[in-house]
Amino acid sequence: MIGAIVKQLVGLFVDDELLAAAVLCAVAVVSALKLSGAAPAWLVGLTLALALPAALAASVLRSARRGPRGG
Amino acid sequence: MAFAGQAHELTDSGALIQSDAHLMPNLTTIISVVGASFAASFVEAVEALTIVLAVGLARGWRPALTGAAAALAALAVIVAILGPLMGAVPIRALQFVVGVLLLLFGLRWLRKAVLRAIGVIALHDEDAAFARETHELTEVGRRQAHGLDWIGGAAAFKAVLLEGIEVVFIVIAVGAARGLLGVASAGALAACLAVAAIGAAIHRPLARVPENALKLGVGVMLSAFGLFWTGESLGVAWPGGDAAILAFIALFLTVALALVAHLKPRAVVLA
Repeated sequence: MIGAIVKQLVGLFVDDELLAAAVLCAVAVVSALKLSGAAPAWLVGLTLALALPAALAASVLRSARRGPRGG
Repeated sequence: MAFAGQAHELTDSGALIQSDAHLMPNLTTIISVVGASFAASFVEAVEALTIVLAVGLARGWRPALTGAAAALAALAVIVAILGPLMGAVPIRALQFVVGVLLLLFGLRWLRKAVLRAIGVIALHDEDAAFARETHELTEVGRRQAHGLDWIGGAAAFKAVLLEGIEVVFIVIAVGAARGLLGVASAGALAACLAVAAIGAAIHRPLARVPENALKLGVGVMLSAFGLFWTGESLGVAWPGGDAAILAFIALFLTVALALVAHLKPRAVVLA
């Protein structure tokens, strides 16, 4: 049962691996830009606000192209 | 209740300084936190109730209630351990970790809600889940008529523990980064009590709850909080302060509804 619980806990955050990877990549990139001083804070915010909805849209469109499947 | 934004105060010498009040929550944040916490916890509580009811009706109320009570005790231990730790973590680090986890959690909910709305994955059906769980538990009961009913208790324990952990995470995620754990907890507690009261009254799964619409709304709110906390932890001064959360809610809602509308030819109803 513990294995099943751990699996479900991980599943709380990761369903589509590419969406999770895109979110983590976006956060990592803007964090690196901010910490290195290469980008001002407003650009970090703008990038996050554009990249995250874009990642969601890409994930949904990709799944929709694959067609219906079980819940 | 503190109402703040970026406030300015005059010192004795007449100099204008910016106070720490911008770190305090304003009404927008409080309402958003309570709303997100209540709605998300309501959905989780409905799912836990379905399993506990199935155990109660298939195997008896003793294992159902014992399993549920044991899970609540385990959750209390988890909260007792995590609660003090929240105060020890620097606020920026807490905002970053919580923000990223909220993004993963919220966007996952939002993605599934959109895919359910357009018919790519099946809608969650509490009646079907209830029937399936009842059937499985009844079959197990026939094969194992004697002995302690640990299977029924374990099923109730697992359901309440897993859904409860989600509720605890949501409360911490939406409340901790602004010192609103009490407010978020109150929203979650109200939702759980409401579901428990309705379940005790009707002894049926809450199948008429528009679960997918609720999940879409919760996904939008959690994603908005995630974006806000993550940006703030990186030093972004969002325009409008906490009111930016509303703009992010509008942003994610617009994207989600646009996706549903765009993919509508294959869609079922959003409910």
